[in-house]
Amino acid sequence: MTQYKFSEKSEAFCQEIFAQMLSSSDAIYGILISTVDGHDVAKNFRKDMPASKLSAMMSSILALGETIAAEAQQQQCRYVIVENSDGYILTLKLKDRLVLSVIATTRVNLGMLHSVSRNAAEKLAAHIR
Amino acid sequence: MSEVKLIITGPPGAGKTTAIAAISETPPVRTDTRTTDDLSSVKEETTVAMDFGEITLGDGQKVFLYGTPGQKRFEFMWKILVEGGLGLIILLDCSRPEPLDDLNMYLENFSDFIEKTGVVVGITRTGGANPPEMGAFYECLESTGRTFPMFEVDIREREDVALLIDALISTLEFSH
Repeated sequence: MTQYKFSEKSEAFCQEIFAQMLSSSDAIYGILISTVDGHDVAKNFRKDMPASKLSAMMSSILALGETIAAEAQQQQCRYVIVENSDGYILTLKLKDRLVLSVIATTRVNLGMLHSVSRNAAEKLAAHIR
Repeated sequence: MSEVKLIITGPPGAGKTTAIAAISETPPVRTDTRTTDDLSSVKEETTVAMDFGEITLGDGQKVFLYGTPGQKRFEFMWKILVEGGLGLIILLDCSRPEPLDDLNMYLENFSDFIEKTGVVVGITRTGGANPPEMGAFYECLESTGRTFPMFEVDIREREDVALLIDALISTLEFSH
C-alpha cells in the first residue's frame, strides 16, 4: 500500500523537533505524527506503544472533535485533550493532512504541554511540505 | 421499540456515508478526512470515526443510523459503535477485487454482534465487469451457517436504502 511518507530531510527535521520536545519535559514520553486518515508517519516513543493503532485512534478522535465543534457551532477545533488518571494525550492538526499527538504523564503541567505542542506544530508545519 | 440503533458497515467506498446521507431526515454527521493512501485513487475522503443520521418510521419509531469506518485499522470504532445496536447492514461493493472476501471479513469481525442481532446485506455497484452472481454471496453466507436477506441496491437512491432498513426492522421484529 502506498502511504504518506516524509523525505529523509523532513524525517530528520521531525526527529530534531521531537528531541527538543522530549528534552523540554521528562513527563513527555511519546510523540507521534500520523495522517488524518490514520497512518503513522513519524514517532519518538520512550515506551513501547502501538503506533499504527494509536494513529488510527488519533485520527478518529480529532475528526470527532472537529465534527462536534461544527455541530455545537464553535467553528474550528484547535486540539483535543484526553485527560487520564495516568497522563494526558494532546492531539492537534498539523497542516491539512497530518496530526500531531503528544503523550505525557500527569507530572507535566497541562499549559506547558499545550505550549510545547503548539510551538512544535508551528515549526513542523513551516518545514513540512 | 421506540428508538432503534442500526449499524451500517462495509469496505471503504461501499457507500455507507452516501446511504446515510440519502435517507437521513437531519443533516448527517460525518467524520470524513482526506485520503492519503491508495484509496485516494478511488475517493478523496474517507470516514475515520463514524457517520450518523436519523429517520422516523410511519409508527413514530426513531431509527438512528451509525456508519462505521470501512478500513480494518478502525476496528476499534466498530466495537464502540455496535454497543447498544439492534441490527447490522453490511454493504458490499462489487467493483472491488474480492467482494466475497469482504463479506467473510465483516461476518468474522462482527460475529459477536451478528450472533445476537439481525443482519441485512446490500450488494452495490454490480454493473462492472464480472461481478459475482448473487448466488455466490448466498453460498458464501450458507457456508458460514447463516442466512440473511440480501438485496442488490443503488445506495444513492433513498428507496433502496429504505428497503434495506425496512428488511432489517422486519427481521428484528420477526426474531423478537
